[in-house]
Amino acid sequence: MSSAGKIEETDLRTSNERLKKYIREKVNHLLSVMGTKPLNKEELDDSTLIELDPIGIIALSFEQVLEHQKETNRRLTVAKDQLQAVFDTVGVCISIIDEDMRIVNCNEKQKELLVSSNTKAIGRHCYDIYCGKDSPNLDCPAVETLATGKPVFIREVKKKHKHFQIVTSPLNDADGKVTGVIEVSMDVTEKKKVEELMRQAEKLTAVGLLAGGIAHELNNPLGNILGYATLLLKDRESGLRPEHREKLEIIVEQAKKGGDIIRGLLDFSRQSVPSFSNVPINDIIRKTVRTLQNRFSSQRIKTDVVLPETFIVRADPRQIELVILNLLLNSIQAFEGVNGREKTISVRTGRENDFVQVTIADNGPGIPEEILPNIFDPFFTTKPIGKGAGLGLSICSGIIKEHKGSIHAGSEAGKGTEFVFLLPAAGPASG
Amino acid sequence: MEHTAEDIVLDVRGQICPACLLITLSELNSNKERLKGEKARLVVKTDHRDATRTIPGAAFAMGYSVSVVQKERHYEITLEHEK
Ligand SMILES: Nc1ncnc2c1ncn2[C@@H]1O[C@H](COP(=O)(O)OP(=O)(O)OP(=O)(O)O)[C@@H](O)[C@H]1O
Ligand SMILES: [Mg+2]
Repeated sequence: MSSAGKIEETDLRTSNERLKKYIREKVNHLLSVMGTKPLNKEELDDSTLIELDPIGIIALSFEQVLEHQKETNRRLTVAKDQLQAVFDTVGVCISIIDEDMRIVNCNEKQKELLVSSNTKAIGRHCYDIYCGKDSPNLDCPAVETLATGKPVFIREVKKKHKHFQIVTSPLNDADGKVTGVIEVSMDVTEKKKVEELMRQAEKLTAVGLLAGGIAHELNNPLGNILGYATLLLKDRESGLRPEHREKLEIIVEQAKKGGDIIRGLLDFSRQSVPSFSNVPINDIIRKTVRTLQNRFSSQRIKTDVVLPETFIVRADPRQIELVILNLLLNSIQAFEGVNGREKTISVRTGRENDFVQVTIADNGPGIPEEILPNIFDPFFTTKPIGKGAGLGLSICSGIIKEHKGSIHAGSEAGKGTEFVFLLPAAGPASG
Repeated sequence: MEHTAEDIVLDVRGQICPACLLITLSELNSNKERLKGEKARLVVKTDHRDATRTIPGAAFAMGYSVSVVQKERHYEITLEHEK
């Protein structure tokens, strides 16, 4: 062989070697991408390296890898959509909160109940967004779970005037460190309201029975006092001196007043059956305001009564008068101690679907938020002994309930108080 | 376990496996339709221990589930479409 031929052969061999090395490297590289180990030299000798066409095989396998990946992605998307739908439509609030108490994610229910519509909740502090506070509550279950790493089962917490039952569980990273909390909460506000109403109704029934019983017992002796005093007054032969006659008249007057009180108690215990008729509510309002005119003027209270339209309600006028009287009296009494500014009581009427709405408002001191839930309770009063029995509002609520209406109070401390009650309208809205 | 799928057997026992993995991959490629359609499973019989380590990784990536059973003198690697 010529030396030139030898050189050519060596060149060919080296280039062959380089090619095989290249193929081997690429095969191993591709295999490692597929998630497996490189091949040993014994597993793949040089001749099979070429015969087997490894790169061809791997290329085809890659096709399957990609198809599988696509399928997996599709399934993940479906699963994610399903989970999101569950997340959002489940009837409870779900939030994921990180260790700094920032909201990582929350579902639609959570937003609906505690996030105002234009607020972005994600990334903000949960106590800011959900509780409207600048630091977490002392009894916050999320704080506890973050601190202890343990779940908290069903704690009742108040957030923005709503009551929630909350369960929290920790989110851990691979090392078991707590990195956040999942908080699931259920709105129990309505349930609590119903419970509260039940409690109040029970109390009212008990008190009503008691009051009714006493009123009945008192009615007879009081009737006798009134009867005998009247007899004596009418007896021309009794030879009463004028000053005695005057005292007797006071006895009759006071006995009548006592009778009114007893009738009120019977109203309260609902042992006097209301007699319903169709009555214009404005007339009752005007009449009651007139009764109190002296007290308004002597206490320099302005009345602002605007009743532009005639509304007919199905009601017992005597009982509704009692309601309005109680509400006006409360407002008058609330102004005691208020001096040096204008004192106004306003009365409005309006139509609310099948109901007529009456609003009685004052710009008095208002009712503190913490006692607002109790004011309709019988015997609840903030007034000194002898000034208030705490029966006024519970009588009102009893009467309104009997009329199949509703009554509620709203108040802002320092600004005033507003009582609104609804009575079934008699007939369709006028106009 | 109940299955009506046919077993495609790749028996490479007693051979110095020339890249057992590549042959298995090649088999998975050429029988793709039947395997993916769950009409067949691929059973690889090998006495090469390394194969039990290389095959599962690649097969997972391609969407197959892999089970390895050690028989008396060989391994049986079953590959089927992952549900
Ligand atoms: N307009 C109002 N402004 C401020 N507080 C009010 C007003 N109306 C009611 N309240 C509060 O609600 C409490 C309960 O009222 P309610 O009429 O039931 O009883 P009362 O007025 O105390 O006693 P009673 O009516 O039996 O004389 C009052 O003691 C008062 O604290
Ligand atoms: Mg009162």
